Amino acid sequence: MPVLEQVPESVRTAVEQRHPGAEVKVSARADLRNGGVFGDKWLLLAGDRVLVCDDGEAPQVSTDLPLADISNFEIDTLVGGAALRAVVNGQRIDLISFTNALADRFGRVREQLDAAAKGKPIREREERLNRCSTCGMVLGEHTRVCPRCLRRGAVLRRLLGYARPYRGRLTLIMVLLVSGTAIGLAPPLLTKYLVDDVLIPRKNVHLLLLLVAGLAGTSILSTGMEIWRGRLAAWLGGRISFDLRADLYERLQWLSLRYYDKHPTGALISRLTQDSGGVQDLLAFALPMVVGSVIQIIGVAIVLFIMNWKLAILALIPVPFLIMLSHSLWIRLRKAWHAYWYRWGRFHTLVNDALNRVKVTKAFSQQPSEVTRYGARNDDLRYAGVRAEQTSATMFPFMWLVVGSGSLLVWLFGGMLAIRAQITAGDVVAFLGYVGMIQFPLHFLSQVTQWLSRALTAAERVFEVLDTESDSEKSKGSVSPARLRGEVEFQNVNFGYERHQQVLKEVSFRVEPGHMLGLVGKSGAGKTTIINLLCRFYDADEGDVLIDGTNVKDLALWEYRKHLGVVLQEPFLFSGTIAENIAYGKPDATPEEIMAAAKVANAHDFVVNKPDGYDEQVGERGGRLSAGERQRICIARAILRDPAILVLDEATASVDLETEQQIQEAITRLIEGRTTFAIAHRLSTLRNADQLIVLEDGKIVEYGAHQELQAKKGVYAGLLEMHQKTSMLGALHAD
Amino acid sequence: MLTKGPATPLELRYLDPEDVHIFRGEDGLVYATIRDEVTLISPAFLRSHPLTDPERYISIKGTIPKEGMEARGDEFGLLRNWRRLDPESRRLIEEQLARRYLHPRLTRIISLEDYSGVQVAVFETDRGVREVTLRDVRDNVIYLDSNRLLITDAENNRYDVPDITALDRQSRVYLARIL
Repeated sequence: MPVLEQVPESVRTAVEQRHPGAEVKVSARADLRNGGVFGDKWLLLAGDRVLVCDDGEAPQVSTDLPLADISNFEIDTLVGGAALRAVVNGQRIDLISFTNALADRFGRVREQLDAAAKGKPIREREERLNRCSTCGMVLGEHTRVCPRCLRRGAVLRRLLGYARPYRGRLTLIMVLLVSGTAIGLAPPLLTKYLVDDVLIPRKNVHLLLLLVAGLAGTSILSTGMEIWRGRLAAWLGGRISFDLRADLYERLQWLSLRYYDKHPTGALISRLTQDSGGVQDLLAFALPMVVGSVIQIIGVAIVLFIMNWKLAILALIPVPFLIMLSHSLWIRLRKAWHAYWYRWGRFHTLVNDALNRVKVTKAFSQQPSEVTRYGARNDDLRYAGVRAEQTSATMFPFMWLVVGSGSLLVWLFGGMLAIRAQITAGDVVAFLGYVGMIQFPLHFLSQVTQWLSRALTAAERVFEVLDTESDSEKSKGSVSPARLRGEVEFQNVNFGYERHQQVLKEVSFRVEPGHMLGLVGKSGAGKTTIINLLCRFYDADEGDVLIDGTNVKDLALWEYRKHLGVVLQEPFLFSGTIAENIAYGKPDATPEEIMAAAKVANAHDFVVNKPDGYDEQVGERGGRLSAGERQRICIARAILRDPAILVLDEATASVDLETEQQIQEAITRLIEGRTTFAIAHRLSTLRNADQLIVLEDGKIVEYGAHQELQAKKGVYAGLLEMHQKTSMLGALHAD
Repeated sequence: MLTKGPATPLELRYLDPEDVHIFRGEDGLVYATIRDEVTLISPAFLRSHPLTDPERYISIKGTIPKEGMEARGDEFGLLRNWRRLDPESRRLIEEQLARRYLHPRLTRIISLEDYSGVQVAVFETDRGVREVTLRDVRDNVIYLDSNRLLITDAENNRYDVPDITALDRQSRVYLARIL
C-alpha cells in the first residue's frame, strides 16, 4: 500500500494550480520545516512530478522535480532525525527533513519513490503503526495497548473468564464479603443500646452482658470470615495468575522468531513476571476491596438513613470534600516517595558500576573522583529521602485530622439534635461509629481508579501476547517424510527482515544429498539469513526453498526440524548437566547413546575427567566449561540427533591449536553422509566443501568448488589470501 | 605545514580559520578549500562534542574530487572556532550544522497530562511547539549534570533541557512530577 496521507485542502490547491489534474500517488507529511523548525511540510508524488509543499496560510511548492530526472532516493541519517534526498545526475538534493518519529514512514516512502523512479511496481509492506488507531496516542514500542482507549470493562470480563473454573470459590468469597460486611454493621448499633439502655439509666446488668457478648460475637465472627475470605482470595488470585502465566509461556514458546525480533526478551520477561503479578494483585486484593468497600458504604448509608435521615444527610455532606482533600494529599505523598525510590535506583546503579570497575579505578588512581561522584549522588538521595520522610511525617497526621473532622460534624449536629431530644445519646455514638467506618473505604475508592487502570493495562498487555497469531508450527504443512535424503534447493529467493533493507536478492543454488556447501562472505552478507530460511525460522518473501523437491512450506515444520541438526557459532548450553545438554534434542536417549555421541565429538575424554563426569553441572550458559568444551558438547548434541541436514555455523572462538584440531576432527566425523551447510571460517573446511557460495550484499557473486574459485582470482581468492595472512598471524600468536 | 590529503593517522590537525573557505559552487554543491591547496566536495561538518561543547572543534570530513578518492569520509582537520571564518563560510557552515543537528531545546512545558504512567505533554522549544508522549520517562532521561537533562520521548526524539533552574515555575513543577 502506498503511503497516502490525507492532504490538507490548501496544499492540494497549491499542487493543483501547478499541475492540474495530476494524480497524487504518494503523499506524506513531514514534521520539520526549513531550518529544522517543527511544523508540517508535504512530500507528494503527483503524476510524474516530485513535489515538496509547505503547509500553512499560503502553501508554497518549494521543490518541483520531474521523476524521470531522478535516478534514486536516499535517506540521510542526521542527529535527531533524517532527510530524504533525491539523486539527480549524481547530485544529491535535499527534499524534506523529519524527526525520528517519522523515520519508519519515510523509510517506506523512500522505497516507494525509488520503485516509481525505476519504473517498478510498488511492493506492499505493512507499516509498523506506533500510534493508537482510535485516539492517535503514541504507543509503547512493543505493545498495541493504548492506556487512553483501553476498554476496561472488556478486559475485566475476560479476566473474570479465567475465574470461571473456580466459580464455587468465587461465589463463596462474595457471600463471605456481603455477610461479613453486614455483620460488621452491627457493633455501632449495639453500642447505641449500650449507651441508651445501660450507661445512661445505670442499670440492666443482664442487658450489659448480653450486649458485650453480642459485640464479642460479631467481632469474632467477622474476623473469622475476614480470614476465611482473605485466604480464599489469595488462593483464587494465585490460581488465576498461574493459569495466565501458563498460557502466556506456552504462547511464547510457539511464537514466531519475527515476533521475537520485534520484542526484546526483557519486555517479554516483564510480561511474564510483572504484568501477571499485577493481575494477581488485582484479583486477590483490589477487586475484593472495591466490592467490599462499595457494599460497606451502601450498607452504612442505608442504616444511617433509617436511624435519622436528617442527621445522615448532614453527616454525609462533607464526605466528598474530605475525600478530595485526602486524595490530593495522597498524590503529593506518592510523588515524594516515587522520587525517592527513583533516586535509590540511580544510587544503586552508581554503586554497582563503581564497585564493578574498582580495579580500573585503582589502576588509574581515580578513587578521589569516585568518592566525589558517590558523594553527589548520595546527597541527592539523602535530600529526596528527607523530603519523602518529612512529607509523610506531615501528611499522615494531617490526613487523619482531615478524616477525623467528619466526626466533629456529627458531634455538633448530633449533639444539637440530642439536646432537643430528637435523638438519643446512643444514636450519636452509633453515628460516630458508622461515619468512622466508611472513612477508609471512601478513601480507598478515591485511590482505586488509578490503581485499577494500571492493573488492567497490565492484564491487557498479557492478553495482547495471548492474542498474537502464533507460528502454529504444529499445524503448518502436512507432508512429514520419515526420512529425508537431504537435497536442498533455493529458487530465486528474496528476503528481508525489515523493509528498509533486502538481505537476500535472487538467491538460487542447489545442494545434492550428502554434499557440503560452504557459505562465504563478509559479516552481514546474508550467510546466516540463508541458514534461517533453511531452518524455516523465517519464510522467503519471494521464491521457494525446496527440500527433496518439496516446498519447505508444505513440510510439517515440527517434523521437518527433527531432521535438522544445528551447531551454532555461539555454542548455547543451558544450565543443567552435561548429559542433559547432549540429550536436549533427544530426551529419551540412553546413557550409552549419549556417551557414543560424545566420543565421536571428541568430548568423552574430557567429560569423564570432570569430577562429576556426565553429571557435571555446566553452570549458567555453560559458563563453567571452556569455549572448546562447549563447542564439542554442541557437536555431540547434533550427532545424537542424527540429522539428514546439518547446519554448521563454525566457531571462530579463540581456542588453542590442539583443541581446534579436536573440534575439527569432530566436525569432520559429524558431516559425513549429511547434507551440510557450513558458514566457514577455517580454510580446511572451505577445502572440504563440495561447493562454495560467495555472498556479497545479499547476492551470490561466485559459485563453485574451491579450486575453481581459487583459479578464478575473484572475490573468493581475495578473501582466501586475506584469510591466510590473518591465520598466519593467528598461528604466530598461538605459539 | 599543510600536506595534501587527510591528517596523519596519529596526529590531530587543527585548521587555521584564515585558511578555510567554504562556498557553494555553480553546481549547487558545497565546497571547502583549505589554503587554496585542497578542495573538498560536499564536506561534512561534525561537532566533536555536540552536547557539552557544540561550538568548538568542528570536524571537517570529505573527499578530494580530483584525486579520485572514494567517499571514505576522512577527517581533514578540526576547526577550534568556526565563528572566525569569513562571513560566507560562516553562513554555510551554520546552515550545514543546523541541518545535521536537530537538537531542540526545551524552553517551557505548556501542559502535561498523565494516563496511567504515560504522559502527554506540550513542549515549547527553540524549534517550536510540539506535543510529545513520554513513556517510562525516568528510564529515558539522562542527567548530563545535576541541572541539565536530556529527555527522550516515546518516538525516539530527544529534547535538551540545558538548565532546569532556568525554567519557569510551572515547567519545573511539571518536571518534578515526572522525575
